[in-house]
Amino acid sequence: MPEIARRDFLKLVGVSAGGAAAAGCAEKVEQLIPYVVQPEEVTPGKPVFYASSCTECSVGCGILVKTREGRPIKLEGNPEHPVNKGKLCSKAQASIGRTYSPDRFKGPLRRDAGGALLPITWDEAIAQIAEAVKKSPAGVHVLGGDPGDTANTVIDQVVAALGAQRTTYIPFSGEALREAARLVFGVASEPVFDLSGADLVLDFGAELLESGPSPVEHQRQWAEARDIDAHALDGGARLVYVGSRLSLTASSSDQWLAARPGSEGVLALALAHAAVKAAGAASPHAALLSGALAKFDADTAAAQTDIAADVIRSLGAALARANSALALPPGVGVTSRRAVGANAAVLVLNQVLGAIGRSVTVSAEIPGARARAKYADVLALTKRMQSGGVSVLLVHNGNPAYSLPKATGFSEALAKVGLVVSFATAADETSALAQLVLPDHAPLESWGDLRPRSGVRGAIQPSFKPLYDTQSLADSLLAIARKVGGASAAALPAGDFHSIVNAAWADTDARAALQRGGVFAAAVPAANALFDASKLDVALPELSGSGEFTLLAFPHITLGDGRGAALGLLQEVPDAVTHVLWESWAEISVATAAKLGAETGDILTVTTGAGDLEVAAYVRGGIRDDVIAIPTGQGHTVGWYASKEEVGMPGMARGVNVAALLSGQTDEAGGQAWLTEKAAVSNTGRHRRLPMLQFSDNKRGRQLGEAVTLAALNGHDEHAAHHGAHEMRVEYDPAADAADEQYERTFQARGQKNVKASDYRWGLTVDLDKCTGCSACITACYVENNIPVVGETEIRNVRPMTWLRIDRWIGDGETDFMNETGRIQTAPSREKLGEVDVRNAPIMCQQCGAAPCEPVCPVIATYHNEEGLNGMIYNRCIGTRYCANNCPYKVRRYNYFDNQITKWPSPMELGLNPDVTVRGQGVMEKCTFCVQRIQFARQDAKNLGGHNAVIADGAIQTACQQTCPSNAISFGNLRDDASAVSLKADSKRGYHALHVLNTRPAVTYLSKVVRGPAV
Amino acid sequence: MTPPPPISVAESMRSVVKPGDSQINRDLLGVMEGVSLGWGALLGVALLFVGAAGVTWVYQVYIGLGIAGYTHPIFWGVYIVTFVFWVGIAHAGTLISAILYLFRAKWRNSINRGAEAMTVFAVLTAAQFLGIHVGRMWKSYFILPYPNQRGLWVNFRSPLEWDTFAISTYATISIVFFFIGLIPDLAIARDRAKGLRKLIYTALALGWQGTSRQWKAHSRSVLHLSGLATPLVLSVHSVVSWDFAMSIVPGWHATIFAPYFVAGAIFSGFAMVLTVMIPFRRIYGLEAYITDYHFENMTRFLLLTSWIVGYAYGIEYFVAWYSGAEPEQTAFWLRLTGPYWVSTWIMITCNVVFPQLFWFKKLRTHIPTIFVVSTFVNIGMWFERYVIIIGSLSREYDPAVWNVYTPAWPELIIFAGSFAFFAQFIILFIKGAPFIAISEVKELAIHARAHAKGAH
Repeated sequence: MPEIARRDFLKLVGVSAGGAAAAGCAEKVEQLIPYVVQPEEVTPGKPVFYASSCTECSVGCGILVKTREGRPIKLEGNPEHPVNKGKLCSKAQASIGRTYSPDRFKGPLRRDAGGALLPITWDEAIAQIAEAVKKSPAGVHVLGGDPGDTANTVIDQVVAALGAQRTTYIPFSGEALREAARLVFGVASEPVFDLSGADLVLDFGAELLESGPSPVEHQRQWAEARDIDAHALDGGARLVYVGSRLSLTASSSDQWLAARPGSEGVLALALAHAAVKAAGAASPHAALLSGALAKFDADTAAAQTDIAADVIRSLGAALARANSALALPPGVGVTSRRAVGANAAVLVLNQVLGAIGRSVTVSAEIPGARARAKYADVLALTKRMQSGGVSVLLVHNGNPAYSLPKATGFSEALAKVGLVVSFATAADETSALAQLVLPDHAPLESWGDLRPRSGVRGAIQPSFKPLYDTQSLADSLLAIARKVGGASAAALPAGDFHSIVNAAWADTDARAALQRGGVFAAAVPAANALFDASKLDVALPELSGSGEFTLLAFPHITLGDGRGAALGLLQEVPDAVTHVLWESWAEISVATAAKLGAETGDILTVTTGAGDLEVAAYVRGGIRDDVIAIPTGQGHTVGWYASKEEVGMPGMARGVNVAALLSGQTDEAGGQAWLTEKAAVSNTGRHRRLPMLQFSDNKRGRQLGEAVTLAALNGHDEHAAHHGAHEMRVEYDPAADAADEQYERTFQARGQKNVKASDYRWGLTVDLDKCTGCSACITACYVENNIPVVGETEIRNVRPMTWLRIDRWIGDGETDFMNETGRIQTAPSREKLGEVDVRNAPIMCQQCGAAPCEPVCPVIATYHNEEGLNGMIYNRCIGTRYCANNCPYKVRRYNYFDNQITKWPSPMELGLNPDVTVRGQGVMEKCTFCVQRIQFARQDAKNLGGHNAVIADGAIQTACQQTCPSNAISFGNLRDDASAVSLKADSKRGYHALHVLNTRPAVTYLSKVVRGPAV
Repeated sequence: MTPPPPISVAESMRSVVKPGDSQINRDLLGVMEGVSLGWGALLGVALLFVGAAGVTWVYQVYIGLGIAGYTHPIFWGVYIVTFVFWVGIAHAGTLISAILYLFRAKWRNSINRGAEAMTVFAVLTAAQFLGIHVGRMWKSYFILPYPNQRGLWVNFRSPLEWDTFAISTYATISIVFFFIGLIPDLAIARDRAKGLRKLIYTALALGWQGTSRQWKAHSRSVLHLSGLATPLVLSVHSVVSWDFAMSIVPGWHATIFAPYFVAGAIFSGFAMVLTVMIPFRRIYGLEAYITDYHFENMTRFLLLTSWIVGYAYGIEYFVAWYSGAEPEQTAFWLRLTGPYWVSTWIMITCNVVFPQLFWFKKLRTHIPTIFVVSTFVNIGMWFERYVIIIGSLSREYDPAVWNVYTPAWPELIIFAGSFAFFAQFIILFIKGAPFIAISEVKELAIHARAHAKGAH
């Protein structure tokens, strides 16, 4: 070894120390500093709410954005909004994820020759577009969905200034309904349906509780119209569902008519016929019998619809008898080539039932993007693109490359466009084909407004500074137009989009409107709406192709037209009917499965005239034998969660896009038709377990999802009353509460004799009669409690982290030893065609008074607190998992990995709720009744009323309760006899899940009421 | 023509009588001397597996327990199954040494050392699984009640806490008992050894000279420790069984569990002693010391405990039926026909059917049969725990979340590693100390000589 001189050694030491220090400098310095000048409205630790509007679907519900220290952390419904009244659906709850999506573009990008996206400045991007526009103004085309009210106007102005053309395309936009309203009432409006006060509701595939015209609103109205406390004797409104599969809406109905898909129009007219006939000559519509309804007598219709003639007749009579009946028009899944006829038929039925003006408001046409959305225009544009007639295509608010049927050739046509510009906020299939990406703000960073329906004008305001270098769509378009210049550019509105929106709201008290979330009034009927059934043209639709099955491409409850797929949360919250998640599935009947030799998870090949797909079978009893149903929304190839990027396979499609099976046909109004294909189905013989979270719908008679008949509830059925749900309850006895015993004993043992039990025992009730299974509670719980989305791999391992799940049962179940093969996913479906006895039972931690989990923990990581909660001390948990084994409700979740690090791709961590501990690897977690909200309310009460202040009833809303659209959940203090939750828990219908175990839960379920079929 | 059975174990060991003490020393200490290639290879294989399991475990601690096959709601898997299995194995040694000592069953003398060693090693192996199983092993000391500034305390109501005490007490007593018994033999080894070995044995022998005073003290210690260890044989597996019986899981919550588990533990412990002793005797040619008579006695034990275990199986089903509790009935029915039916039938065949072969004297003394059956019993007893733990967890109260667990590769590596971990100790111990208690064999020999004199 060569000698090292002392001086050399010192030099080396100096150099390496300096190097180490320099390396340290390169690391990003994070600063944690308090406010030096505190913003006036921000108190650290206290949330600030901003009223805004949800843009996830066309309903435009009002939201309150909860921000903490300047960051949005949760969305809640705006209680002042007339549509959603404080409630939100799953999609809206999850939509906070758009702001923190890992797919987001961080600034403007251009595509280089190699196809890679490279950063570019805004000025360069705008200049490049302006140059292309100048070259051929006639070839400029703007394509997109609904950007909101004022933005829509701005786009129109820009399009006019540029001399360009514009096409509006919204995948699920209801062209058929608007055209039907024009035919029947002379106004191309989207009628507003109001279920309040209704006593008989017909759903012709509108899926009113899931993907219908206004799901949150309709869930609330449906629950109120049949609230058993208000309608103790008759049970309130009945819901009759018409459709070929037992959907979520069908699951909550009282009667399911499994009519042939596409026959909704015929059935509606047949019912109208029967109703008019039943009403006799006195009916104001008697003339119709020989007119528009002449061909639709019950017997003819029975053959066409597959519904027995006497059922049609008796339902018609029931409709005639009903005080307030209404019908909802066919939804997206059954939009056939004769959809306008079907929609018109339902409007005629409403007229016959007297619902128009009472429950159905035919309002004036809404100006805006939606009114002119037309699928046929996109087909025309595609043709133009193919012929090279489009030089610049500006795509906003939509993902046509994904959502248009493959058969339209849109993606290929994009290649023939000189310059494709995407304004997408986050990466999607269309932006992947664009040469320039000018990212729009995320919804929570944007200004804007909405006019979703007559009387409702919603405001959109940003709740924090944009995370990235983005620019609003309108500002980008204005910049392009200004850059292009010319005479017409002078006519453009001055200022930025924010000031334009302000100007648009100048006609109202804009400040008050922003505080309230908008300006709201009742829907106004159109003055010129006059009933005319003469133009009615209703017939069964022809389907293309030659297969044996009808292909039903139905809207996925949460993924919708595919927008939801980008949100990990919506992928992770299971479909409420099948419990499948992160995948596509094809529903086939038990008989079909037997014929194909397939079981759930077997890969089927589905072939139509337009193409073929391979998709896993889901075998169920609740679907017609001649139908194969595949949900929309999956099949994305771009996006962290939307594609398989999350499991390390970027570019690989997650599930299938059912649009690939459609030949891209239109209905009579030029809208997109979904029910157009016959499909041939074969079994590939391959099998891949579907990611699912529930494998059996047989509750084996256990006390998990109880129901009671209306007769039993009213004491008319002695036998049933004895076996009714109210037997299944251990009365809550504070004296027997383990909390008190333990608490007092503990303190007395320490010599503190004067410590007495708390004034509170937190309790929760879930009314199964109101629960539709929509799963909004689950989504809200994820967001509120920092629950990680674990991804497909972990879901396939059945390790979800959800604190709340919804068990779905068919009937009471039976102890069926012989049929139990015990293999998962082969438990035979108990659904039966045309029968409804579905119980949705949300299961969260029951906060047992005698909790089995508590005594078994060796390190007191889970314990009973003085207010009856099962506390979890994450820091103490060593992960023996004994508590989870001993929990009969199976609500405890275990962190098998360091989920909070590995499952939160940046910038998702910015949306974490600072009030809730982030759990690490190896600890158990579970529902705590939103203890952070309890603590917040306690502090609030103390701040106002001093140390001994009592938390008022209703001051605490758990996240699940807050969002529940049908108000099925109540929460409060069980020790206060007057509290809402105590009154609910005392209901005759109350029962405790698995009461035989004497766990003394704080959660009381109220049995579902079986009202029986409407006829 | 079968020969008449030997009257006593001493008679069966007549061949030992003749050579005298020095021959016994040579025979039994000879085992410790020299290292064969086979021995080295065995040790190498064992260490390889231990290493693989160690690496897997470190990876598991780093990345999380998710690499194992756990699935909701089956929160306990192969690790706990294997833990209970090794705790069970740990029963035979103390039973043979303590209980049979108290009953003066002299035939135990030549197998007790091996059995005690197995007890200690099995407890050590089982203890590893507590660290392997928990999610945050770096915090697992939270389970120990010790004064600390953080205000942490333990929950004395938790069966897992009882387990901690039961296992650590059992480990302590077995190690002390084992060592006390070893002292006279260590002294003999000391007298024969040279160099470093001599130094070590000298230290370990604690100045043993074989004076009558020392012998008196020694036999008193053994007697008292036997008295102390006897209840432990019953308590430790009772406490382990309460990990299950104290819960409300259908299939676990049963009053029969303590005797059921203890019988099962003795059953599996004896089977393991046979599985280890038979090849050991063969390899080192110690047929004179461990005779067929020993094996026959142990097979009788197997037969007896197999019936106890079989009875427990039957009673479990009877109680499930008799309880009228549907979840209980379903859980048991699905053990027979559900996803784990293979495991259940392996358990019944290996534990109840095969041991019935020992009704026949010919098979009781037919060494290959004994070896095969004892191995099957080991397999069957592992599956018994698998069926009880996983079968029950997968079919609990809420059928919506019923699920099926299959072990993943890390669990299988660590499972295999646990056998290697156990084996490495046995392999090393064979060379480290007399595997057959020399002093006790000599005691037998003296008896036998006296017996022979009396007979003539």
